Amino acid sequence: MELIKSFFDKNYRTPLWFKKKKIKERKSNEQQNINRTAQQNGRRNLLKSAAGLASFAVLPLPVLSQSLAFKNQKKIIQSEPWLTINNVLDHLLPASDTGPSAMDIHALDYLYNIMYVQPTEQDEKDFILKGVGWLNGYAHSQLKKPFIALSFDEKETILRGISGSRAGENWLSTLIGYIFEAMLAPPSYGGNPEGIGWKWLEHQAGFPLPKAGGRYYELPGQAKIKFSEQAEHKTKLQEITVTAFQPNRLALIEKGGKA
Amino acid sequence: MSYDICIVGSGAGASPVAYTLAKAGAKVLVLEKGPWLTEKEFFKDELAISLRDSYNPKLADEQHVIEEEYEDDSGKSYWQGEATSDSGWTFWNGTVVGGSSNFMSGYFHRLKPVDFRLKSTFGEIKGANIADWPISYDELEPYYAMVDKHVGVSGRVVDHPHQEPRSSDFEYPPLAEHAISNWIDKAADKIGYHTMPVPRAVLSQPAMGRRSCEYSGYCSSYGCASGAKGSGRAALLNHAVASGNCTIKPESKVYKIGTDDKGEISGIHYYDKQGRKQKAVAKYYVIACQAIETSRLLLSSKGKKFPNGLANNQGQVGKNIVFSGGGTGRGDFFFDDLNKQQVNELKQVGPFINRAIQDWYEIDDPTFSGVNKNSKAKGGTIDFLFYQNPISRAMGTEWDENENLVWGEQLKQNLKTEFTTYKTLRFEVFNDWLPNDNCFVSLDPDVTDKWGDPVAKVRIGAHQQDIEVGAYIAKKAEKLLQAMGATNVSSSVSSAPPSNLQGGGCRFGNDINTSVLNKYCQAHEVDNLFVTDGSFMPTGGSVPYTYTIYANAFRVADHIKQRWQQS
Repeated sequence: MELIKSFFDKNYRTPLWFKKKKIKERKSNEQQNINRTAQQNGRRNLLKSAAGLASFAVLPLPVLSQSLAFKNQKKIIQSEPWLTINNVLDHLLPASDTGPSAMDIHALDYLYNIMYVQPTEQDEKDFILKGVGWLNGYAHSQLKKPFIALSFDEKETILRGISGSRAGENWLSTLIGYIFEAMLAPPSYGGNPEGIGWKWLEHQAGFPLPKAGGRYYELPGQAKIKFSEQAEHKTKLQEITVTAFQPNRLALIEKGGKA
Repeated sequence: MSYDICIVGSGAGASPVAYTLAKAGAKVLVLEKGPWLTEKEFFKDELAISLRDSYNPKLADEQHVIEEEYEDDSGKSYWQGEATSDSGWTFWNGTVVGGSSNFMSGYFHRLKPVDFRLKSTFGEIKGANIADWPISYDELEPYYAMVDKHVGVSGRVVDHPHQEPRSSDFEYPPLAEHAISNWIDKAADKIGYHTMPVPRAVLSQPAMGRRSCEYSGYCSSYGCASGAKGSGRAALLNHAVASGNCTIKPESKVYKIGTDDKGEISGIHYYDKQGRKQKAVAKYYVIACQAIETSRLLLSSKGKKFPNGLANNQGQVGKNIVFSGGGTGRGDFFFDDLNKQQVNELKQVGPFINRAIQDWYEIDDPTFSGVNKNSKAKGGTIDFLFYQNPISRAMGTEWDENENLVWGEQLKQNLKTEFTTYKTLRFEVFNDWLPNDNCFVSLDPDVTDKWGDPVAKVRIGAHQQDIEVGAYIAKKAEKLLQAMGATNVSSSVSSAPPSNLQGGGCRFGNDINTSVLNKYCQAHEVDNLFVTDGSFMPTGGSVPYTYTIYANAFRVADHIKQRWQQS
């Protein structure tokens, strides 16, 4: 298996977890709240036409037990990779009088929960962390400095630079997706303190909201599924190196209006 | 212990049977694959409901294989399956006690008399396996009324051209309505459409030990924390358990219905919460796992007398699966185009829109482009709704018009504009999904679930007529949005099935060669086996199915009760 060394590595292919996540978001966006769930047309075709899945190398994550992570959370975000991640989040949603910043919505706390508390897929977590290394590698190659030592304008240049690559764009859009969650998910997940994101966007939340103990991964029937999924996942990675099947979908009529 | 009734599944098809029989004194066992959640565990949590899909199995553990039609280089068509763990396209709709009824919108439209005799009214359509029902609307009507009462349906009867006959008024007064309902009514009046209030399976006043609706504004697709939504769990199973005669075993996954050498059922085999193999025995067996999984279970239940699966010696199990035809559409209202009062009305969150149009439930129009005998064809229903989920709404604001990522001040501006300058009114079209030879369930030869059992393979071929009808009605709905002054009006109708609206696979009928069940939903081939979810439907009608599944399950429950009492 090829080892991906940078955002610009030509061997990088958008992995399956990323595509599935985008499908879910799109389904959720287009078909939420309704009687008719997910009719997946455009996006499914897009998925089918994407060439060769996978060949996405996995570096082992430093093992960190959850309880240890909680104790050291404050300390950990003073050091890498969290220092860099914090700088990137601050740049993506900057402090200004136009609305809350990444710090205001507790984006870093939320992302920390994504990495160590929510049952996030291992591949995705690996990708987020490896992206930090690739980002600093690129910053060094261009400006001879780590990302956190750059000025605002230099950071903008570097992020624009990586967003020109498929891997860089995927990495940034993953972080932005979690900024949205930190801004608009129930506060018990670690972001959106006192509903600051809802207030800013004039959004009226529903009720009741989950408190600690009632978050999705704490509901009855969840725990055992989580572990089996992790076990399943290892075997899956080996399997998806085959070339994707690329048929032309029968042109079935789509009528009824403009896109 | 031995039970009188063993029910597999606990949703809208199962719960009326448990309710009716337990109250009559029969000992009832309910086996449900998912956990038993209560009001205390349902929140308005977008992550749980939608982005993480927490009330369903992980697709790596349990999935389906979906077969779609493609064409090769020479233009020849063929069918190719794709596992849903690869596509991310889930066909699970709520794996908990009470099933998908916990998460329904509860739009409770009845079928109309014409839906029971589609074939004799509109004739054959080439490529479709249309069949009349073996019962009439009049036979089902008393059971719709029973659902109104015990499940709790709120609404009001109005005089409109497609009003079906009713023996009684709604049991509960209508829910509070959103101001836009009035906008819809006015625009409809202007262009000659007839709107009607949508009956909802949501209590408008406290009753039967349940609280009334609390108008959080997040109803459809969310579990209900007040108990107002008439899920099978809140409305029926709680009462069944309270009778002392109903045992619910959650996290019990049934994998086979065993039969002996004579072809009689020897027991229901399941994995319990700890993964151990168990067997349940009863006098009567009722299967209601939602259409796809019911067919899968019967096909998996091979025995000496049933080499192709239980009740499948005529090869009919899994055939003629139906979803719902139709599509969705939308129009935007920009606050800058409205006065202050209108903006305030539009921004209201909580009350229900509850408006539908059924003016084209039957199409009578020579310009209709589908199969159109004497200008007449079966049509459908239009419903209106808002979306609420904020994270989903934010998704997409990070892309500019050239599909480049944006961030920083631009992203903040995009978010602010998206959330605070307009509101979108949406509609859905429901029309018949014509049963056909390319829409069926079989067992996949390769893919298994986490217990090692073959998963259901679903071929999802649609009939062209469904798309023509859906597009015809969507155009009518677009016209209404335009009359309301909406901008960016559009709609989308496709042949892809909505995975939550499932029926068919075990048709009921009088002919043993073309149906699996008799008119009482008892298997032709097995005397004490009943199927009570949406599997029985030869055609599904042009409305969501839950109301009809409830009503039919109450009807079958009455029949089982009589047999049980006589035995």
